[in-house]
Amino acid sequence: MELRLPGRTSTTGVRRLDTERPGEVIDRSTSVPFTFNGKRFTGHEGDTIASALMGNGIRIVSRSMKYHRPRGYLTGDFWDPNGALQVGDEPNVRSGHRKLTAGMSVSSQNVWPSLDHDVKAANGLVSRFLTAGFYYKTFMKPASLWPYYEKVLATFAPGGTVDLDTPHGEFDKRYAHPDVLIAGGGPAGMAAAIAAADAGASVLLVEQEHQLGGHLRFGSDADRAAAGTLRDEVGRRPGIEVLTDSTVTGRYEDNWCSIVQRSHPTVSERLIKARAKTLVVAPGLIERPYVFAGNDKPGVMTSGAVRRMINLYGVQPGDRAVVFTANADGDAAADDLEAIGVPVHRVDARAGEGIVEATGPASGLTGVVLTDGTTVDADLLVTAIGWTAPTSLLNMAGDRPVYDANAARFFGSVQIDNVLTTGGIAGDGTVEELIQHGEATGRLAAARAASIAHALRSATVWATETTTDAPAFPADDRTALERHAHPELYRASTHGIVDYSEDVGSKDLVAAAKEGYDSIELLKRYTTATMGPAQGKLETVNTAAVLAEARGETIADVGTTVWRPPFVPITLGALGGRIFEPTRVSSIQPWHEARGATPILAGQWIRPEHYGDPAAEVRNTRTNVGIIDVTPLGKLDLRGPDVPALLEQMYTNKWRKLPVGGVRYGLMCAEDGVVLDDGVTGRLADDHYLMTTTSSGAGTIWEWAEMWLQTEHPEWQVHVTPVTTGYTSINVAGPRSRELVARLCDDVDLSNEAFGYMQVRRGTIAGVPDCIMWRIGFTGELSFELHVPSGHGLHVWERLMADGADLGIQPFGLEAQRIMRLEKGHFIVGQDTDGLSKAPTTGLENLIKLDKPDFAGKPELAWALEPEQAQILPRIVAIQPDDPTIVPEEACQILAGETNEILGRITSSRMSPTLGRSICLGQVVPSLALPGTKITILLVDGRRVAGTVQEHHAHYDPEGERARV
Amino acid sequence: MAGSPTALIRKTKAKLGGGPPRYSAAGLVRRGLSGDPWPRVWRDVDLKSSYDVVIIGGGVHGLATAYYLATNHGITNVAVLDKAYLGSGGSGRNTAIVRSNYLTPEGVAFYDRSLSLYNTMSTDLNLNVMFSERGHMTLAHTDGALRTMNWRAEVNKLQGINSSVITPAEVKKLAPSLDVGTDSRYPILGALYHPPGGTIRHDAVVWGYARGADHRGVEMHQKTEVLDILCEGGEGPDGKGAGGRVTGVRTSRGDISAPIVVNCTAGWASLISDMAGVKLPIHTRPLQAAVTEPVKVFLPTVVVSGSLHVYVSQTDRGELVFGASVDPFNNYNVGGSLEFTEELAGHVLELMPGISKMRLLRQWAGLCDMTPDYSPVMGTTPVDGFYVDVGWGTYGFKAGPVSGEAMAEAIATRQTPKIIAPFGLSRFASGALVGEKGAAAVGH
Repeated sequence: MELRLPGRTSTTGVRRLDTERPGEVIDRSTSVPFTFNGKRFTGHEGDTIASALMGNGIRIVSRSMKYHRPRGYLTGDFWDPNGALQVGDEPNVRSGHRKLTAGMSVSSQNVWPSLDHDVKAANGLVSRFLTAGFYYKTFMKPASLWPYYEKVLATFAPGGTVDLDTPHGEFDKRYAHPDVLIAGGGPAGMAAAIAAADAGASVLLVEQEHQLGGHLRFGSDADRAAAGTLRDEVGRRPGIEVLTDSTVTGRYEDNWCSIVQRSHPTVSERLIKARAKTLVVAPGLIERPYVFAGNDKPGVMTSGAVRRMINLYGVQPGDRAVVFTANADGDAAADDLEAIGVPVHRVDARAGEGIVEATGPASGLTGVVLTDGTTVDADLLVTAIGWTAPTSLLNMAGDRPVYDANAARFFGSVQIDNVLTTGGIAGDGTVEELIQHGEATGRLAAARAASIAHALRSATVWATETTTDAPAFPADDRTALERHAHPELYRASTHGIVDYSEDVGSKDLVAAAKEGYDSIELLKRYTTATMGPAQGKLETVNTAAVLAEARGETIADVGTTVWRPPFVPITLGALGGRIFEPTRVSSIQPWHEARGATPILAGQWIRPEHYGDPAAEVRNTRTNVGIIDVTPLGKLDLRGPDVPALLEQMYTNKWRKLPVGGVRYGLMCAEDGVVLDDGVTGRLADDHYLMTTTSSGAGTIWEWAEMWLQTEHPEWQVHVTPVTTGYTSINVAGPRSRELVARLCDDVDLSNEAFGYMQVRRGTIAGVPDCIMWRIGFTGELSFELHVPSGHGLHVWERLMADGADLGIQPFGLEAQRIMRLEKGHFIVGQDTDGLSKAPTTGLENLIKLDKPDFAGKPELAWALEPEQAQILPRIVAIQPDDPTIVPEEACQILAGETNEILGRITSSRMSPTLGRSICLGQVVPSLALPGTKITILLVDGRRVAGTVQEHHAHYDPEGERARV
Repeated sequence: MAGSPTALIRKTKAKLGGGPPRYSAAGLVRRGLSGDPWPRVWRDVDLKSSYDVVIIGGGVHGLATAYYLATNHGITNVAVLDKAYLGSGGSGRNTAIVRSNYLTPEGVAFYDRSLSLYNTMSTDLNLNVMFSERGHMTLAHTDGALRTMNWRAEVNKLQGINSSVITPAEVKKLAPSLDVGTDSRYPILGALYHPPGGTIRHDAVVWGYARGADHRGVEMHQKTEVLDILCEGGEGPDGKGAGGRVTGVRTSRGDISAPIVVNCTAGWASLISDMAGVKLPIHTRPLQAAVTEPVKVFLPTVVVSGSLHVYVSQTDRGELVFGASVDPFNNYNVGGSLEFTEELAGHVLELMPGISKMRLLRQWAGLCDMTPDYSPVMGTTPVDGFYVDVGWGTYGFKAGPVSGEAMAEAIATRQTPKIIAPFGLSRFASGALVGEKGAAAVGH
């Protein structure tokens, strides 16, 4: 069925005024074309999308989420729950706030098939059955149909549409370190900025609107004059940086604040991260909608919305108005309407008058029923019934706002040294009084910032200014703003919408509370009230009020939900910023690419997997000589007298007796005894060492070393410098490697007697001085690992290739190295071990030295070495499938015979070019770890094949003779 | 010991017929027409001074334990205490993902039972928990990650779990918004795909169990904080600790005596256990989460990337729900950090470059009690009558139903059910850990 709605998008009462308003911000000489739902319109420069639409006579801009009721602008600003529109490929644009630009393609979101004719409006006819949370009570049977129900429900998801081809776009981030950060550029915020700057503080003043001034912008001539003066004063002070169309979105630990800047000239949104010494919260107040029957009909607006439309944008919001007012702002809205010739019927709450409901079709109200029983014809109903204090930033700073029934709103209750409030969130007053309070707040914020800054400087260990007297931390001597009495007006005698974006009414809330969802958090979760895009800024206090009424309690008893960051939504693009994730390559990478090497991603690194035939690379390395680029190997330069102490702490084995020129292998375990990393460290000089880590562990181990040095043993004198990319690392491996290296190095005696296995030397290679070379390697062959200052890496590599041509030199890649290490039975941390592999699992018990006074993981490893643990901890073993042609996939499970009981798994598996058969490493339960044990391997294709546990981890050259020649 | 706690428990027949009205479409229509309100989802009753069983923690675990005590074992003189409101802890803060493709046979068997209970929960509890069996993908961006996926798939296959490693093309087909191109910084090399995994409305699970338990006589007491656990005969001060027995709890609303006290808390599990003199090997760390503004549904499955520390699903309301890995240090702060949102957004955009204009709406954190082997601690303790169902790390919500079922059985029968036997506290003394940490990284 289709519901045709009378009136539709155009209503005569809404139009652009012919005459200019004195404070309007539009430039009537301009014409800005845009489309709305495919139709062409024009607006003016300075318009928001909302004012442009209303200026074109459009009153209905969207439909509600659940009942698809027509909706018009309610608050006409950033928070407008009905104003979320699709603009081009951008969903959920706040049309009450977003400036109109030429060519914008604007469309309504929750409409199907169109704004004018919406089939889903049929839901409204059955709304009495669709109370909040109705879906919890139905669609349960038959269970098989639920997936279909779910798909239908999902079509009611509110919001716009994401174009998945949207380019990432330009985003940016900035760091700021203001003395005083001010959230809100109304009169109090501006006054605070001026006073703080005059006291010598650097100030960052952030205003959500497009212009400083707050509510004064759409106020009286005197208001606008006051705003202008303050703006000029702000502009005159170089110590104040102003960000408009920007919002302080979060306050985290130690006044770490996030700001989203939407007004940046080149990026669509910028995230600013500010470490503010003091934060002044001055966001003003958010006008609260009133709950009554028909309160979501187009034509119902808050007083602030009406005043903005008239005074800033020259838009007449209706022809005949009822203004329900409880305060001066409502009175001013009525005055403004009368000033543009709209007849107004005033209903004064302070005089005991009230409204009951808005009548008329869904497309817009035509009348208002008053509490005296009369009905007044109107196409515009303005409410001014009070405010919500946006206390989010205070909440994030640890405050728990408390309700004040006399003032009918919440106020902060906790004194926080570095967070101050001013303006409407702090109290009421004349413009003069607000400015005075702002000035006092600015002075206090600046003084506190100076004191905090001094404390921060003095806290740093190298501070030299500690003799300066610390400025006293100033007490709060401000004269507090008064809290004016305001009637408590939340709901009329009728029920209406509470959460516009979620289509949740007061009736829903009452029903849910009666069902037992009667705490504010449960009520929110059950009904979804306050969970929409405004995150409760308009709805929370009304929700609390309805709940309090249902429970017979006060709003103070009920409290509010916890306001969570961010204060306004931030695009993922702005949060993510530019992607700075580095891609790391060695200085030899261009050569690899030129040779057609197949790249492999290894953490942040891109390196050659192979140069075409890894098996051939293995054979050549085992018979002639091969070179591999091992630059990603983590390298830490360690200097200082306490390096041995650090090594003893980080490794499980002993280091104090390592002589200069010696290299030792070590295992690192975490506190739980689980293998964390492994590698070799060499002693280059008395108090100079080079540590290597696994490629993937380089960052972790560096941080870990710093953790030991900075937090556990600050008395140790050790400098750690990561030099992973400072050196290009080349392993020269194979029986002819000595011959090759000798051709390029004449200042080191390379003979086995002078430079034996597991030793380190420094020398000149291919004319490059200060190279480090050590005799180690993962391949098991005679090897020289060369660490060459990075700028010369490619040069040395090319010389090796050239000078080794007659020796049969070939480069080899990661895959050949993995095969050779597997032939040698060397495990890889994180592949052959896992998150639970304690050191004994590796079979390297002899490297765990419990007689050391301390090392990371010692207590756990002492336990792990007790005899009964040998019955529990799995073991890494070498395995050979009995059929040498079968190469089990890595991750294949090892089972107990024909059962499905898992006894282990294959962790590494390759065809060995050297042995001509398949070889594996695996983890097995201790009972299978004895050499010669027959095991059953379940292949991925389901076959079960036999294998045998080997005596040594090394399938090839178990005695390690080839490396020692 | 004379008079085992269970002997003190009165078993009553579960009240089935004549209970409160059932939820149904017909009921909605009837009450919509008549305007009659639905009865309270659980009663509001006075706190008594003694119960047969006191359960600390009104989340999924505590409520499920109470529900199954009542339904499966006829034990109904039970109070569930929560210091805030039901579901205010991890149950309401998780990202509502369920799956059973774990790494160890013990884990797989356990979570598979949980998943099957979730599957029939809407009808069992007569409350639609909106289980969405949308499939669960764990992406691999490195060959190492792919190896772990293969490992999990092999273990899962042996346990009869629908779980397999799929190619990037298949990934793209299941979730077209993902960038499976090879020129992305961390290209997607494959994924572990688990069709039975999905999402569920987590709050509804809490309410469903609470309502079901309430119908059978269990009492729910919110805003009732446990300040101490009362013990006698133990080796520690005040009769606490090994060798003793529990006699009740001291709450913010007075003392309650009970022969059996069950610790079903998360975030505070070690502190609560400490009140009985029982030390737990637990580190408490926040896990941060966030949602975006809603947009029309475009992501049909749950997507997890361990390498990028992110998991994401889209609710039927259109919001993307994000979670990360646990913070790297111990902390009780549930406020959420800015850095988390930045890293999260960066990583999500690597996976789905097209959503840079979506906006993050709200962030929060939940507390995760991490154990050394990333498996829970369940069952008896050295204090007689004091049970624990804790150490749930990042996987507690998934395990709620089976945990409640097994804990109820353990309490009612004084026998540890086989399905939770591997998760006993004593394993940290024997060394027989359950290696879910093997696949570490993001557990979701």
